Amino acid sequence: MKVLKTGKLEQVIDRLAQQADVYVPMLRGQQSGFYSWKTYNEDFDDLMFDILNVYQSPKHLILPQTEKMYSFRQEGQEVSIEEVAADIEPKVIMGIRSCDVRGIEYLDEVFLTKGYVDEFYKARRDKITIIANACYNPGKNCFCDSMGVSPTDPEAADVIMREVNGGYVWDVKTEKGEAITKQIEDLLEEQDVELFSLKPFLRKVEYDGVAEKLKDMFEHPMWEKYSEPCQTCGICTYLCPTCYCFDIQVKAWGDEGYRFRCWDSCMYHEYTQMAGGHNPREAAKERFRNRFLHKLQFFPERYGRPLCTGCGRCIVACPTGVSIIKIIDEVKEAETGA
Amino acid sequence: MNYTKEIREIATRLLESGQVDMVMAWEKGDQEYQTIPFVARTVDEVNRIVCDEYAVHNLANHLLRFRDGKEKIAIVAKGCDSRGIVRLLEDNQIKRDRLYVIGVACTGVKDPLQAMKANSGFERKKDQDEGLASKCLYCIQPNPVIYDELVGEELPLPELQGRFARIEEIENMSVDERYKFFEDILSTCIRCYACRQHCVACNCRTCIFDETRPQWVGRENNISDNMMYHLVRASHMAGRCIECGECERVCPVNIPLMLINRKLIKDINGFFGPYEAGMEYVEGNKPPLSVYRENDPDDFL
Ligand code: SF4
Ligand code: SF4
Ligand code: SF4
Ligand code: SF4
Ligand code: SF4
Repeated sequence: MKVLKTGKLEQVIDRLAQQADVYVPMLRGQQSGFYSWKTYNEDFDDLMFDILNVYQSPKHLILPQTEKMYSFRQEGQEVSIEEVAADIEPKVIMGIRSCDVRGIEYLDEVFLTKGYVDEFYKARRDKITIIANACYNPGKNCFCDSMGVSPTDPEAADVIMREVNGGYVWDVKTEKGEAITKQIEDLLEEQDVELFSLKPFLRKVEYDGVAEKLKDMFEHPMWEKYSEPCQTCGICTYLCPTCYCFDIQVKAWGDEGYRFRCWDSCMYHEYTQMAGGHNPREAAKERFRNRFLHKLQFFPERYGRPLCTGCGRCIVACPTGVSIIKIIDEVKEAETGA
Repeated sequence: MNYTKEIREIATRLLESGQVDMVMAWEKGDQEYQTIPFVARTVDEVNRIVCDEYAVHNLANHLLRFRDGKEKIAIVAKGCDSRGIVRLLEDNQIKRDRLYVIGVACTGVKDPLQAMKANSGFERKKDQDEGLASKCLYCIQPNPVIYDELVGEELPLPELQGRFARIEEIENMSVDERYKFFEDILSTCIRCYACRQHCVACNCRTCIFDETRPQWVGRENNISDNMMYHLVRASHMAGRCIECGECERVCPVNIPLMLINRKLIKDINGFFGPYEAGMEYVEGNKPPLSVYRENDPDDFL
């Protein structure tokens, strides 16, 4: 087996960074997320391959929070439109966990399948190489295996790093993975090591049958009940590796301007605000219900799998203690007419 | 702090007699350190109520959901929460006679979010206990300033140290340093607006940041829109923030928002004071920037 010794980790990142912008999990001050190795400062940043996961999911690397689409200028009766040059640097996302890899798989489905290819997304996605970090030790709020994600074998990974004593097994999965391995081959060592076995999950949830059951639960009292503490703050959706809603807006001054897209959230009032002033999702209950129906019913109806990877972020970060596990449990237990 | 037993007794009495339609308090979440907001509407639900050391949330914010209704609402309020209630009363968001305030003399609370994060695996393990929520370290009034019934013994006012120490350090920076400082901390804001959503002083029906015609503040995530957001919000908080710390507590990326709020508190007190927001409810009272007085200072303009 090829092994990357912990002591050579930074050397490997340095090497990869010669040909791509490498994003790695870091603790930066009070924040944690995937940051570019170019911005790493050893006085402030703490490289975090050895903790479970980071708060800010890496989805922004493929679906940036703000992205310019084109700029325009009015000249007399004419309008000239200029595409924003898609000069996109290759990226490596290194140290990403299975749940977040699955997040990217879901984004791929949304932006690349069912007859429409989002060119902005595709341009970024094509240039991304994923070096995942397999999990053998799930956290207190992880439930990826309940959502059909294997913590040790992320599907869309190009390389999987498997933590072993003293380093990581370097497990190449795809051609992209081979290509990137060529750059660092001399830093890997051939060695026989024993892999850890996966520790049991502390959290479990039964998702089977939930999507089907939800069809009859639009008016169920549980939405009123569970949305009671929710302040519709959107933290859950902004941290979630799968939430992909965006809005398209414009910034204009004088005769010119540009159009951009930016993240949006179904938890926001403005999200469903209509031109005439009516809002079909006026209160927390309706917005809260939409968030869960989208994840647990509408998305599976269209793509076959739920839009939740079990990463646990929304559970950890919700200021009022809303838990998607509880919602799924409740749906399972609910009495419905059907 | 644990007033669970007392609050349950009061809640039972109020709901049984029909004096109120609901009691806003807390219940336990999934983990032992998770306490979450809960509204009891029937006597049967009362045994879910808790009021323990993790009852950090400012429930006053939750009253906004009922501002157009007629329900009579009992609400449990710590010192800071009670100032939040005053905020809503001064802002004409709810009528005093719809409320039955169950005040609790607060010995400080812990933040379940911090505990949740520390135990999730998303942080390096810390061995020491999180301790009190950061807002409690600078609490000026642990006793409820408005109540119909008090639980616990009124506490002596804390002797505060260092409430403005960090603010003074920042005031002493050069203009450029200060600009850089705020640029640094605000550049990482992800503009989720959670600080607004959880804030009792952010009670406008239509928030300026949600207006689209015209759109006052752009939705791009960049330093200029981020700064604009925080500047506008700060100016709306001046004299109105009741220092409950919810904004900073909930921020998913830990922006130190209380630095901004404490600067405002300090300046409002300096220019218009002595003034601390929401410290007593006198009908008709308004915060300093909500009224015009001939002798208002203006030399800072
Ligand atoms: S569920 Fe929690 S994090 Fe999500 S919007 Fe509601 S209060 Fe915010
Ligand atoms: S819904 Fe929650 S647990 Fe599921 S993927 Fe999103 S943040 Fe993670
Ligand atoms: S949810 Fe699964 S893949 Fe994600 S961090 Fe936890 S164990 Fe690892
Ligand atoms: S909660 Fe934090 S990240 Fe969200 S808008 Fe407020 S300061 Fe920014
Ligand atoms: S600005 Fe922050 S501290 Fe002040 S009232 Fe609002 S949530 Fe509380």
